[in-house]
Amino acid sequence: MKRVPSSTSAAAPARRFNWRSEWTLAAVIVVLAALLPTVVSGYPIYILPEYMIYGILAMSLGMLWGFVGILSFGQAAFFTLGAYAMGLAMKWGIGPNPGYVALLASILIGGVLAALVGYFLFSAGVRDIYFVLVTLALSIMVEQITISQSQITGGFNGMFVPRMELTFGPFGKISLTHDAAVYYAVLPVVALVYWLLRRIVASSFGKVLVGIRENEDRAISLGFSTSFYKTAAFAISGAVACFAGALYGSYAQFVSPSLASVQFSTEIVIWVAIGGRQSLLAALLGGIAVASLSNYLNAITPLYWQLVLGLVFIAAIVGFKGGVAGVVQRLAAKRSEED
Amino acid sequence: MHTPVMHTIASVVIDGTLITFIFALAALGLAVIFGLIGVINMAHGSMLTLGAYFTWAAVTYGIPFPVAVVLAACGVALIGLALEHFAIRFFYDRPFETLLLTWGFFLVITEMIKIVFGTDTHTIATPFPGAMHILGLELPAYETAVAGISVVVLCAVAFVFYRTSLGIKIRALTQNRDMASLLGLNIQATYKLVFASGAFLAGLAGALIAPMLSIDPTIGNIYLVRSFFVVIVGGIGQILGGTIVGSFLIGGSETVFAQMSSQVIAQTIVFALAIVVLRFRPSGVMKAK
Repeated sequence: MKRVPSSTSAAAPARRFNWRSEWTLAAVIVVLAALLPTVVSGYPIYILPEYMIYGILAMSLGMLWGFVGILSFGQAAFFTLGAYAMGLAMKWGIGPNPGYVALLASILIGGVLAALVGYFLFSAGVRDIYFVLVTLALSIMVEQITISQSQITGGFNGMFVPRMELTFGPFGKISLTHDAAVYYAVLPVVALVYWLLRRIVASSFGKVLVGIRENEDRAISLGFSTSFYKTAAFAISGAVACFAGALYGSYAQFVSPSLASVQFSTEIVIWVAIGGRQSLLAALLGGIAVASLSNYLNAITPLYWQLVLGLVFIAAIVGFKGGVAGVVQRLAAKRSEED
Repeated sequence: MHTPVMHTIASVVIDGTLITFIFALAALGLAVIFGLIGVINMAHGSMLTLGAYFTWAAVTYGIPFPVAVVLAACGVALIGLALEHFAIRFFYDRPFETLLLTWGFFLVITEMIKIVFGTDTHTIATPFPGAMHILGLELPAYETAVAGISVVVLCAVAFVFYRTSLGIKIRALTQNRDMASLLGLNIQATYKLVFASGAFLAGLAGALIAPMLSIDPTIGNIYLVRSFFVVIVGGIGQILGGTIVGSFLIGGSETVFAQMSSQVIAQTIVFALAIVVLRFRPSGVMKAK
């Protein structure tokens, strides 16, 4: 079961082609998504923003796992912190628009916290499985803290979050009570986060990250401070996950400690494993597709669906490493070879 | 023993000791699999849970508790054997993939438990209710018994490991796999045996812990992370000493902090401390690659 890594020199032109086509594909998807509310209304438009927010969360992991080779079970921890940041900012009414404050604060909280944890561990050479365990512990710790600090967080029962408003200073404001308004508020944010992360992984910084994934020892001997790069990548990932959490808090209008549960942490990993971790678009679509499928099938047969999800996850690990995107890519490659 | 302070100290010492050995028992299966054959068994927690459920099922069926415990442990060992045979043995040289694979097993086992046994919580009546009184000290009877069994199991594992030819073979395998193989050791069979033993120990721990808590499909989750920290803090590959020292540090500090605040906060502090230990005393951490 030898597999040639996709970054070998022979595959380089194909890869560049794929990257360009991924931009096109992404643009087409965004346009279609933007047109969707003109054809569909009701429940899909109400629920899709939730999955798109999960898609952002999935990208935060996809970037870290797929491009740097660091697996994190801690994305749920950052997500939860962001959701509570939104909740508390709204509750305490910080600033002229608490929603904006929370969104900015969540980026800072997630980024700084991930940078601290990342630097603390990466600089000592903690890697691979040990880092995975620490991130798993992070989620459990956040869950327990949110449960135990009930005077602030509402404990087990969670807390209700008023939905934020979009204000434009003297130009007025948009209240996000309408489903379509929420949809059109979240969609550009998802596109923006995707664009930013794509720019990051395609930059020279991103190239170093991929170099670390392929061979960390070689990156070190080439003079790269890999702990700095890994810390930076983890910080970006933490910031994105926390930001997604703040969006979620405002969207769901409710946050509870179960967001940081082992189950939710796992689900994020499953989205990315199934979607495909070597591409941000695959992670994004994996998040949206698996989460919506989960929601649909959970209503019909919760137990068996979770079981199927677990089995599909195992299959993705054993059989098709690149997830669905990897399979599609391989089929496309085969076809272009035949031409 | 008559002042309140003395009493608190005595109870902390007792609780700490009991927890140390209970944690050691819970972590032993992981220490065996992780330390000896390098498989990061993320399914360890669900194996504990499975042991607890098997015991509950056997007890409700009318089987006496001690027999139920042995049956449960054997049942989990069989499942471990199957997982090893059908999946894990193909991934021994890829530790990161075994991590993901065993995580998948964790998901599947947890869901299977929910399907077969339901999501309601269950309880097993404590076989030895009440407390024992020794030298004016009050010891919870069942916990003390489990700590005692833990000591016996630790000694048994140590005996096999250091005093039998099987133990020599396993140690040879961990020191130099290729050389051991050249000298005629059946690597495949030994790996299989070690993995099944680890699963057996996890099942045993789950079975014995079961009467102490209400059983639900997620009880193993916290033990998974805890056990990993026990093994890492204690030192990987140090089956006996490492597990006991790690359990003492994790369990003991949890007891002390719980005395000062709540159980939940104590847990969080201990996890944070374990991360700090991992950072500054990474013995074994560096060997990861």
